[in-house]
Amino acid sequence: MTTIQEQGARTLSRTPGRGRVIDAYAGFGLMVQFIVRRNWLRMLIWTIALAGMIAIVVESQRIAFPTQADRDAYAAIANTPSVAALTGLPYAASTLGGILNIKLWMTEAVALAFAVIFLVTRNGRAEEEAGRTELLRGGVLGQHAYSLANWVVAAGFSVLIGLSSALVAIGQGLPALGTLVMGASFTGVGLVFIGVAAVTGQLAQTSRGANALASVILAAAYLTRAAADLQADEDNPSILSWASPIGWGQQMRSYGESLWWPFGVSVAAAVLLCALALLLERRRDVGEGILPDRRGPRHASALTRTPVGLTLRLQRGSIIGWSLGVLVGALFFGTVATAMADLLSGDNPIAQGFIGGSKDVLDGLLGFFAMANVLLISAFALQSTDTIRAEESSGRAELQWSRAISRVRWALSRMAVPAVISFVLLAFSGYAIGASFGASIGDPGQGGRFAAASLAYWPSVLLVIAFVVFCAAWLPRVASALTWGIFGSMVVLSMFGDMFGLPDWVVDNTPFTAVPRLGEEFSAVPLIVIGGLAVVLVVLGLQRLRTRDMTAA
Amino acid sequence: MTQSLAVDVHGLTKNFASTRALDGLDLRVATGSVAGFLGPNGSGKSTTIRILLGLLRADGGTATMLGGDPWRDAVDLHRRVAYVAGDVTLWPNLTGGQAIDILGALRGDVDRGRIDRFLQLFDLDPTKKARSYSKGNRQKVGLVAAFASRAELLILDEPTNGLDPLMEGVFTDCVSEAKAEGRSVLLSSHIFAEVEKLCDTVTIIRDGRTVESGTLTELRHLQRSTMTVTIDGDSAVLSAVPGVQELTADGQRVSFSVDEGALPDVMRALAPLGPRGLISTPPSLEELFLRHYGLHAEAAEAATRP
Ligand SMILES: Nc1ncnc2c1ncn2[C@@H]1O[C@H](COP(=O)(O)OP(=O)(O)OP(=O)(O)O)[C@@H](O)[C@H]1O
Ligand SMILES: [Mg+2]
Repeated sequence: MTTIQEQGARTLSRTPGRGRVIDAYAGFGLMVQFIVRRNWLRMLIWTIALAGMIAIVVESQRIAFPTQADRDAYAAIANTPSVAALTGLPYAASTLGGILNIKLWMTEAVALAFAVIFLVTRNGRAEEEAGRTELLRGGVLGQHAYSLANWVVAAGFSVLIGLSSALVAIGQGLPALGTLVMGASFTGVGLVFIGVAAVTGQLAQTSRGANALASVILAAAYLTRAAADLQADEDNPSILSWASPIGWGQQMRSYGESLWWPFGVSVAAAVLLCALALLLERRRDVGEGILPDRRGPRHASALTRTPVGLTLRLQRGSIIGWSLGVLVGALFFGTVATAMADLLSGDNPIAQGFIGGSKDVLDGLLGFFAMANVLLISAFALQSTDTIRAEESSGRAELQWSRAISRVRWALSRMAVPAVISFVLLAFSGYAIGASFGASIGDPGQGGRFAAASLAYWPSVLLVIAFVVFCAAWLPRVASALTWGIFGSMVVLSMFGDMFGLPDWVVDNTPFTAVPRLGEEFSAVPLIVIGGLAVVLVVLGLQRLRTRDMTAA
Repeated sequence: MTQSLAVDVHGLTKNFASTRALDGLDLRVATGSVAGFLGPNGSGKSTTIRILLGLLRADGGTATMLGGDPWRDAVDLHRRVAYVAGDVTLWPNLTGGQAIDILGALRGDVDRGRIDRFLQLFDLDPTKKARSYSKGNRQKVGLVAAFASRAELLILDEPTNGLDPLMEGVFTDCVSEAKAEGRSVLLSSHIFAEVEKLCDTVTIIRDGRTVESGTLTELRHLQRSTMTVTIDGDSAVLSAVPGVQELTADGQRVSFSVDEGALPDVMRALAPLGPRGLISTPPSLEELFLRHYGLHAEAAEAATRP
């Protein structure tokens, strides 16, 4: 910090003029250093994870499709609606690079988009919310210097991801041109979502709001391109694809035609969005958002005065948001599944990869969607339970624990909300998938069947909640990062474990894959084991929470 | 001890990893009294208070609050205690009014009449979202919640942090009123005037240890008074009197510090010199305190030891 202050003083002496445009950016270089110093580890971990995935997948696909004949055979059947909807229209599927694209491109692109959204919000709106930006702005720092530095660092990070991905793929023997285009396509997606997060960071007043808004835009981009890829004419997606920043990345067609110009579209969009964000920043005060803050009620309602009611009230917005997201997702899964099912056949290896061991292809596919839906609901449960730690690190737990409520009862009130809401969401979204699918095949009985299959995952969601409590109690300082990290790997493992060529006993025994899928023979044993595990973790967690010191940030 | 104690802490110790935050701390708050709790930054005031609130667990020593064990009986005790932290953190998207109600409900009493009265006294708008409150206004939310409660014991950790002078005055009135209602108050503070005005007893700690405690009068007793007087004749006579120190003369006006015990000798020596305009100043709390705050505190302490 001292060096920053010293250097800040030097910056002052260098910028004697007042009111010049450049002044708005005074201290920019210093802020870049500052942000890099605070985030280098985070960025490094993302880089290793994303580049590492490429190395693993290229290797596993080389083993899966060793000869050109294998790849040609694969290419002949690769273009299915399921692939188109989930991972995008395949190009050059008869090359190893093309196969890599099918398996991993979408995952990498979406992961990078999330990474930059979180990074930009963390250093932007979250800092401002915490009042630290004010501290910096009180020094010799131009109005836009900090924001611009934030975006530039995130842009550098996007370039780093693109480059490291490309280098790893080249190291694995993939052709250089296609590989560089692939790397650039990742970078392009990253850049656009920096712009998106830059704007949402100006609009929303809280970091949660900024992240949520940007994530909704990301989801919309994903669904738009899914719809476009499903309506493809040969290997040309519908024009709708150009409405999605993810579509721009896809249109670079790495390992296929390898086009550079869509990258220009991404860069231009990113620049425009950042310019818009700067414009917004000029128009508002530090700490404020553009979306207005209204006055509120003078008194707390009878419900809000109970611990569970308070939890509900505090998470009201996020519960409504997740519920809508889950419901829209469920309807989407239901309709898309119907469309895909017509075209799927049981001997398609990709279909096999997705649908597990079930006999009925359609059931298997829908079961896969049901699980994706469950993972979404689990993410909600995780985020909701994570507030146990957030309350403690922010100092609000001190406020509550010094009142007449035991820590155990307090924690239970925080767990009850995600537990009950996830039950309701599982039932409703399961029913929605079934009903929308049932409507298309004229079978109204599907709703109940899907709801039941979906509810079989409730113990798994409870295990997520229990794990969060356990970590918050035993490892408070790293709990949040740890739970999200493990949950993230669980998602990848559950959804795509087969494709990474991991052993079956791993892939089939995650808390999500161990649950009998729709169409599989039902057995209560995994549910009981998972539920039992959840109870053990909760008991251990609460026991620890009760006996340890309060641990602020 | 004939008086009953609201807080009785003896030999309290607490370690954080390698830091020894409390090192045998003693603290007493008599029932119905206001006790000041002073110490330099990082001396362990907040840590002691958090132990009393059952938020931290002591490593050693004993602590009793309202006759119960702060850790074991935390939930029951908290019905009878109200706490205000030096930095009140609220839920950003709830209003101040909502937060006050929720905090009251968590303690088990919400008295709308009292809440409205204190809202008015502190001039706080309860319909604003906490995120748009200023520092002082957030502090007021905590204060209104605490004073509006019927808690027997108020634990206040630098509660006026960020309040403007006018509001500090309101705060002083509220504490006096709480005392008049028979409530006990533990007040940690860095503001001497506040402590001098409000507190019946004062405990000064340093590095997690109690270095001084008692009523203000008792503490003053231990300290040297400053005297200023105009005399005829040579002030050198005075310097010969044992117990007189820091003697300075400005013409006929001399000033010096003196031990309580040396006063008779000083008076005898002064009498023949025709003293006029004698002023004797007892040590202010600030002086008492700076003795323990200052870098030379250790040396000063060593010097006063027999
Ligand atoms: N959770 C913690 N972990 C590690 N050390 C801590 C923790 N809480 C307090 N300390 C240390 O314990 C010591 C006492 O801190 P405490 O907050 O009690 O001081 P204080 O008297 O309240 O100071 P101030 O006047 O600044 O509020 C300090 O050295 C502090 O750094
Ligand atoms: Mg303190």
